[in-house]
Amino acid sequence: MVASLKRAAPSRTAYTEIRFSGLLDRPLILHGELEYLGPAELGKRVNTPYREQTTIANGEATVRRGERAPRTFSLSQAPELEGFLRGFAALLGGDAPALARDFELAVSGAAANWQLTLKPRDSRLARRISAIEVDGANRTPRCFRTRDVDGDVSILLVDTLAATQLPTRPSQPQIDALCRGIKTR
Amino acid sequence: MKRTRALTLLLLGTWLLTLIAIGAFAIHGLRISTDLRSFMPPPRTADQKLLMDQIGEGPGSRLLLVAIEGSAEADLAELSRALAAKLRGDAHFEQVINGAFDPASLGDQWLPYRYLLSPTLDSHTFDATYLREQLEQRVEDLGSPAATLLKPLLPRDPTLETLALAERWSPPKPPALRDGVWFSSEGVALLLAETRGAGFDPTTQGAAIDALENAFHALPNANAAKLTISGPGYFTVLINAKTRAEADRIGAVSTIGFVLLLLLAYRSVASLLLAVLSVASGALAGVAALALAFGSAHGITLAFGFTLLGVAQEYPIRLLSHRRAGEDALTSIRALWPLLATAIASAAIAYLAFFFSGVAGLQQLAVFTIAGLVVAGLTTRYLLPRVLPTRFRDAADTPGLASAAAFIDRLPRPRWLPWLLTALALVVLWRAPGPMWQNDLAALTPVPQDLLLRDAKLRGELGAPDVRYLLVLHGADADAVLRLSEVLQPELDTLVKQGALDAAELPSRYLPSLATQRARQAKLPDRATLEVALSDASSDQPFREGLFTPFLGDVEVARKLPLLTPTEFARSPLGARLASMLVKQGDGWLGLATLSGVHDAAALSAFTESPHGQASLLDLKAASESLVVAYRERILRALGVALGLLALTVVIALRSLRRAWHVLAPMSLATLLVLVVERASGISLSLFHLVALTLAAGLGLHYALFFERPVADAAEGRRTLHATTVCVLSALLVFGMQAWSSLPVLRAIGLTVALGVGFHFCLSILMARERKDGSEG
Repeated sequence: MVASLKRAAPSRTAYTEIRFSGLLDRPLILHGELEYLGPAELGKRVNTPYREQTTIANGEATVRRGERAPRTFSLSQAPELEGFLRGFAALLGGDAPALARDFELAVSGAAANWQLTLKPRDSRLARRISAIEVDGANRTPRCFRTRDVDGDVSILLVDTLAATQLPTRPSQPQIDALCRGIKTR
Repeated sequence: MKRTRALTLLLLGTWLLTLIAIGAFAIHGLRISTDLRSFMPPPRTADQKLLMDQIGEGPGSRLLLVAIEGSAEADLAELSRALAAKLRGDAHFEQVINGAFDPASLGDQWLPYRYLLSPTLDSHTFDATYLREQLEQRVEDLGSPAATLLKPLLPRDPTLETLALAERWSPPKPPALRDGVWFSSEGVALLLAETRGAGFDPTTQGAAIDALENAFHALPNANAAKLTISGPGYFTVLINAKTRAEADRIGAVSTIGFVLLLLLAYRSVASLLLAVLSVASGALAGVAALALAFGSAHGITLAFGFTLLGVAQEYPIRLLSHRRAGEDALTSIRALWPLLATAIASAAIAYLAFFFSGVAGLQQLAVFTIAGLVVAGLTTRYLLPRVLPTRFRDAADTPGLASAAAFIDRLPRPRWLPWLLTALALVVLWRAPGPMWQNDLAALTPVPQDLLLRDAKLRGELGAPDVRYLLVLHGADADAVLRLSEVLQPELDTLVKQGALDAAELPSRYLPSLATQRARQAKLPDRATLEVALSDASSDQPFREGLFTPFLGDVEVARKLPLLTPTEFARSPLGARLASMLVKQGDGWLGLATLSGVHDAAALSAFTESPHGQASLLDLKAASESLVVAYRERILRALGVALGLLALTVVIALRSLRRAWHVLAPMSLATLLVLVVERASGISLSLFHLVALTLAAGLGLHYALFFERPVADAAEGRRTLHATTVCVLSALLVFGMQAWSSLPVLRAIGLTVALGVGFHFCLSILMARERKDGSEG
């Protein structure tokens, strides 16, 4: 199944990210574009509500924000980030063995509405992230949900869901329903 | 004078017991110091004074660079963390750093101080505008991949001062961080360990390195990985061990040779052991005298002393060779004593000059050598003859000796030869290649090139400070130093940009001056004002209501904090770092800024000379070389006086200027020839060469004195030749071995003495032993 998710690099897709955090009283909603440039290269552009370009290549992440000088840091500085991105890249690259090396995999649901759960094997990554969940239909993932250990959740809506009109203060169940293809409106 | 066996044994027993007692006293009473300061002359210039205080104790020279490699990255990171944790609890180490500074390690009571320590408030105020800008950035941070790292900090520190401090307190050019610890570009985990002991001290450095290695090997999974240590302290230990091992090896081989030689010459084990007893008495007496007079002695002083004491082996050898068949040993020594006493007295008087040199190291050398020579002489005179076996072989009958003596008698002795040699010597000395003097003591004990390269590589990767240069800030008190440090910081930053150096670490990086802290504290708004500004700033932000209450609390605490003095700061986890950069000297204070990657020392020194006046660039190498020069000048002056005293003693003892000339001329010319040969082969002279020359001259004095001595018959002449040959061969054996050593310091001593002994012997034969044909001028 993972192999069927493989994307040809480079591919570009719009996304909407909803982040629920204990620090925030309303979720953060970002719109932008994800770029999958190859096995170790990822790009993430935020267009609204602010502009930010993150490029991950050669083990380094570079963040450009507005007029400020770009900040570059080594991915190995934060192994949890590296593990997370490795998982993401393996998913988009359709590399099932690599994915299984870093995560415990579990699949549920039907072909038209499946859910893939990735639990990190690396203890350092597990200290920050409890699971990554992917929702999809057939060969297309629609949602990437990252659950932090502290209860914060970030959900990336891609493909057909990326352009979904969201309420200003969506709730987690609303988004989850969206990901499972249940029409709530 | 019939001796009873019982009396002899009683005397011998008493002698041995006394030696053991003196030895025990000496070992307990004498502390071997490795402090270079006790070896060096008193400092005169300000730089020398500072060097004396900082020598080996400067922040740079106490750093050990540690690398762990050979395992998977995650394992190496784990090893690095475990090793650092273990060493932080070890008394040998001041501090251990293996990654970015973690502000969390400061502990709760220190965290509010971040507002006084971080430079943010110098250029900003905590008003609504600034806070809104910060909060907007924090929202963006939460949407970025770094969110998981920053989340725990936000409620207490929305302006991220702790991160600003972490960046400020990490070394100026830190290595890459992986998994929170330092790694080189080649995937080697790196640590910096600052020892408590001085860098030049092989004992404390050895203990620290042992502790480090033991701590490492006790870690689980340590066996798969490889630990590498470098740095000044490591080199000290390495060189010390290497020198000692080589000296021991050479010592063992030459001792065997020496024993064989004496057995061959005297065919008596008892004579040999008893002869050694005299020399041992001298050595022990020297050590005991040091223990009594000083309580401690520098290792180098002792090494020099034992070298100079090599003369003492002559005394028993003379006695053994000059015993006449059928003659009692006491009678022999009585006949020899006037000359032997002259030699001992002239050497002892000459070394008095060292005593008045004013250098502690040289005074110790004088006390050791004089006590040693006098005791070795006296035991040879009064004890040795009474315990020597009565049966022996007259040395005059040694096979081949007669023909050797006849051969030497037939040698032509052109009177013009010495003068020609002198003239040639002076020309060669004048035209000799290379610098006359070697001022770099380190050149005598060189670190292998590959280790130096490895050290440079590690140092570069770690951004560890240069050990050669220090920027020194002068102030009336600690706060004045910190103020000066703040003024210099931007100017040094400019120099870094211009490429004069890679980085500088000033004391104000860790602790701002009181004035700066006060100014920052004054800019902190009171709680009510801050609350209004914050609610204004976060009105259109998604942050949860009341999220930043811990921030309001910390600012309120910071407003009322007493300002941090260096004394207060010393109690913090970073205290050690500042303490090594801020030291009291006399009635002022010094700030020591470490510099990394100095490319343009001239630009730096111009920078310190310009308007400041309170800052100076200390070149530790230049300062230590100037000390060596000062030390050498003192030795040379002492040697000059010693030579004068020696000549005077010889003249008085021989009661004849002409006879004294016959003794002193070959000695002086031989010394000159040694200098010529060494200089002509491009060797620059060090302190060790000078000490070795002195020893050789002492031996040469004996050869000349004995050859010059009028003898009653041909047999006595042969005995003199026998004694001198044994002495020359034994000296050549011991020092000739050293001349082949791979270590320049041993080679310097060995080559000089071996050459000297050869020249002294030949010239004494040619110039002193001239009386036989009765035609000298």
